[in-house]
Amino acid sequence: MTVFRLLLVSAVCLCLAGIIRRYARRLSGSALPRQDRSRGRTPWQITHILLHLPVTLITDVLLLRRTLRTSPYRWVMHALTLSGFTGLLLFHALDDVVSRPFIAGYESTLDPWQWLRNLLGGLVVAGCLMALVRRLRTRGLRPATRLQDWLFMGMVAGIVLSGFALEATKIISPNVFNRMTDTYFVPESDADIPALQAFWSARNGVRFSPPAGTDAELIARGAELHADNCSYCHADTSSAFLSRALATAISPAADALNAAQTDAFFWFLHVGLALAGLALLPYGKFLHPVATPLNLVLRNRRHDAATIPDTATAARLGFEACTRCGECSLHCSVAPHFAAMGNPNILPSEKLVSLRKHAAGALDTSAINALAEGSRICTECMRCTDICPSGINLQDLWLSSKQALRQQALDGPNTTIRQCTATQWAEVLRTQGASRFEQVRGNGLADRAESFWGCVQCTTCTSVCPVVAVSEAPAKDLDLTPQQIMNLLRMGLKDQTLAARMVWSCTTCYKCQEHCPQNIQVADILFELRQIATERLRERDLTACPLPGPSAPARAPMDNALPHPAPKGSSGDPA
Amino acid sequence: MKRYETVYDVMVIGAGFAGMAATLFAAERGLSVAQAGATGGIDFSTGFLDLMAVHPVAEGRYWDSPWDAVDAVIRDVPGHPYARLGKECIRTALDDFTTFLASQKLEYLGHADRNTPVFSPAGTVKRTFRVPRTAWKGTEALRDKAPTIIVDFHGLKGFSGPQIVEMQKQQWPDLKTARLAFPGSIGELYPEHMAWTLSAPERCAELAKAVAEHARNVEYIGFPAVLGLNDPVRTVSLLEELTGRHVFEIPTLPPSITGPRLRATFDRGLAPRGVCTFSQKMVLNARRADDGLFSFQIGAAGDVRTVRARNAILASGRFFGKGLLAHRDGVIEPIFNIPVTQPSSRTQWHTERFFARQGNALNLSGIEVDDRQRPLGTNGAVLHDNLFAAGAILAHHDWMRMKCGAGIAIATAYHAVRSMIDSGSKG
Repeated sequence: MTVFRLLLVSAVCLCLAGIIRRYARRLSGSALPRQDRSRGRTPWQITHILLHLPVTLITDVLLLRRTLRTSPYRWVMHALTLSGFTGLLLFHALDDVVSRPFIAGYESTLDPWQWLRNLLGGLVVAGCLMALVRRLRTRGLRPATRLQDWLFMGMVAGIVLSGFALEATKIISPNVFNRMTDTYFVPESDADIPALQAFWSARNGVRFSPPAGTDAELIARGAELHADNCSYCHADTSSAFLSRALATAISPAADALNAAQTDAFFWFLHVGLALAGLALLPYGKFLHPVATPLNLVLRNRRHDAATIPDTATAARLGFEACTRCGECSLHCSVAPHFAAMGNPNILPSEKLVSLRKHAAGALDTSAINALAEGSRICTECMRCTDICPSGINLQDLWLSSKQALRQQALDGPNTTIRQCTATQWAEVLRTQGASRFEQVRGNGLADRAESFWGCVQCTTCTSVCPVVAVSEAPAKDLDLTPQQIMNLLRMGLKDQTLAARMVWSCTTCYKCQEHCPQNIQVADILFELRQIATERLRERDLTACPLPGPSAPARAPMDNALPHPAPKGSSGDPA
Repeated sequence: MKRYETVYDVMVIGAGFAGMAATLFAAERGLSVAQAGATGGIDFSTGFLDLMAVHPVAEGRYWDSPWDAVDAVIRDVPGHPYARLGKECIRTALDDFTTFLASQKLEYLGHADRNTPVFSPAGTVKRTFRVPRTAWKGTEALRDKAPTIIVDFHGLKGFSGPQIVEMQKQQWPDLKTARLAFPGSIGELYPEHMAWTLSAPERCAELAKAVAEHARNVEYIGFPAVLGLNDPVRTVSLLEELTGRHVFEIPTLPPSITGPRLRATFDRGLAPRGVCTFSQKMVLNARRADDGLFSFQIGAAGDVRTVRARNAILASGRFFGKGLLAHRDGVIEPIFNIPVTQPSSRTQWHTERFFARQGNALNLSGIEVDDRQRPLGTNGAVLHDNLFAAGAILAHHDWMRMKCGAGIAIATAYHAVRSMIDSGSKG
């Protein structure tokens, strides 16, 4: 018991320390700058939430209404795990504070409790199995699955499976039998113990060494002794249907297992895992059993992006409430971009993780750039917000974080490239040379002479271009027109074209390509140029023009003006 | 996809004048037509339909009567494509073609038996057979040497009022010019954008207001051809109403909006006739099965699909349309590998002066066909009985100098479709 107390106290301390550390960091590190939309707590909003509290608790928290919207499979999976684990937590783990005080005659080894425990454990194991199958079989979910997801799943399953193993090894253990008889049984004759052994062996699966007698008379005598002495506290182990089945399965190796005191090992494993879960509670997915229900109550059954009282707290809760189920990423409308680009920050569930780290100031420059890129690709289509089973107001988070990243001058290459003239960028990009992307891919359309062989500079591409059309003065607004870009490329002056605002303003409507009398892939080439420039900027983490802007007076010499790549983390601290 | 599974009655290879005409004539006769090709020749057209105007080219002799010119050319150049057609065929083909255009709001005018003098973008005068309605009043002004102003715009390349006036001032003292700012623009201008802009009546009103002070003493106002895209007659009428003067268009240097207008007309008109257009897809190669069924690979490397058809009309043009490829050692026809009539050696392709009036021998090269427009093989025999050819790819004409490009394209396409139907096209 003292060992248990020691472990329990340690786990509780670790848990508390984790919570304190987390909130201390929040307060000092300051979360992302938020948009000031003058949203304060209003009494009416609070009253509104309180009025709806009972309904929300039943539908969203207990009946998992939002989870059912994602898929019946997930609902069954989560309902099994939630009901099983909650039941075990209340009536088994906390039996000293819940079961014993409130249920007369409670004994963990009596029915229905013994039977119920196996049932609840069975539900959890079934739920975990379904979760495992889902993680492995759902296409698109693998990239949204991290170590913490496997850890959490393993922890829940591990606690319950080790419990079954503990119960099974106790069932077969003569040591446990002896400990009980030594403590609670006063034999009247020398024949009593063998008789009781014979009964427990035959009826309840204890494996003695040497084996207990199998004589019917002896067992009958044991049954009488059992009825008089043990049955007040012990139902048949057969009611622990799963553990007993496991005990039967392992009984051929019973002697070895008993000799090795496996039951003691499983006790440590079971208790250790449960306490480790408690200690990990403040971290990542482990907090969701606390944070998600709170968030669901605050969200008040809404699916839109409407804001809720005290936005800062609500947003923080949103961070914590993520169960990492991955549904947002499965429903994300720009998920195909992830397939093409491989930046996990495109997926909402992964972006949320980065955002949480960023808020804690734990991202380096490249990681922040990757986060900014993922944020920009988001189209704010609301699908993630609508589907989130935890009811997180993701839309609100994305809007704030996008703006915050923009304020940190992380508005993407389209903004960066417009900070200098095309000619200035041509210098910078030429000095930098081909990016790894270009080297790996080899010659693209823009590099191949045959792409332009047919070009007669007829201006058809420019004449049909809607971007040129909306420009009052194309030379001033766009630097170059499509046919001029084709001409420069033909002369091998690719660097001169990379930052032309025509390239960056192209809507890829493909009119130029559709009209080109020589079938030149004009739109594809413009898009390729933009990609090449993006890769070159990305490779050097260039989020601002290293030269003075077009309006600035004199331009510093190239060598002095080019910055050395910023050391990791130096510019990573959020504003 | 269904459009790739259908076996078409005919595959038209090419989307220039000849390809469009062949597609139109075949579709109007109830055939299922697939058409592939880049937006070649037609986009570079002035919009005028030439029939026959210059012969012999070495003398640069202009003919007032295109029909007399046709007679003369047939007499002097027996291999000329017109020699196989007959005037009735040519006349019907052109009438059918312009009737279709008129039904799509692109009306053409002209005389039955003579050519009409028109302005070229350079200010010279050439003779042509059919003129778009929006350019017609220019021919009247030119004929009467009436008081006229040519308007051009700051920022528009390829059209110069002063140049036109310079070319004409000897014989036309009442011709003058003015350069204006185009409504809503301060930089360089492109015809299609200007045409879109002037599709809006408010912009036309701005333009009319700007023109008014320069047009007090004139009867005609000539503009570069940017007056609207899909319904230019409406824009021209509106400007006439606003200015109280006769208004006409002069094509700009290619690509002039007159070309895209023609192509847009076909885009609009052919689809309702059930034509399946594989726009901007080139025919890469053709295979012919023993039973005569053609399989065409169309698209570009990496995106190639197969289309099948019972007949084919090759209207792929010459060099610009890639119907003929000029290699170091000679000219080839890349799809069917049809023998190309051409100068015997590369040194004879061009004369020493590239712009010499008599033209270059290379520009007479092309493929040979029989009386029914079927290409001939090396031995002079018909290559395939279900393959026909039309347009510029045919040998023995220099359409640019003879001013017979549209006529050859439309009339030979007509003849090819008729021959195909006579030989039992539906298979």
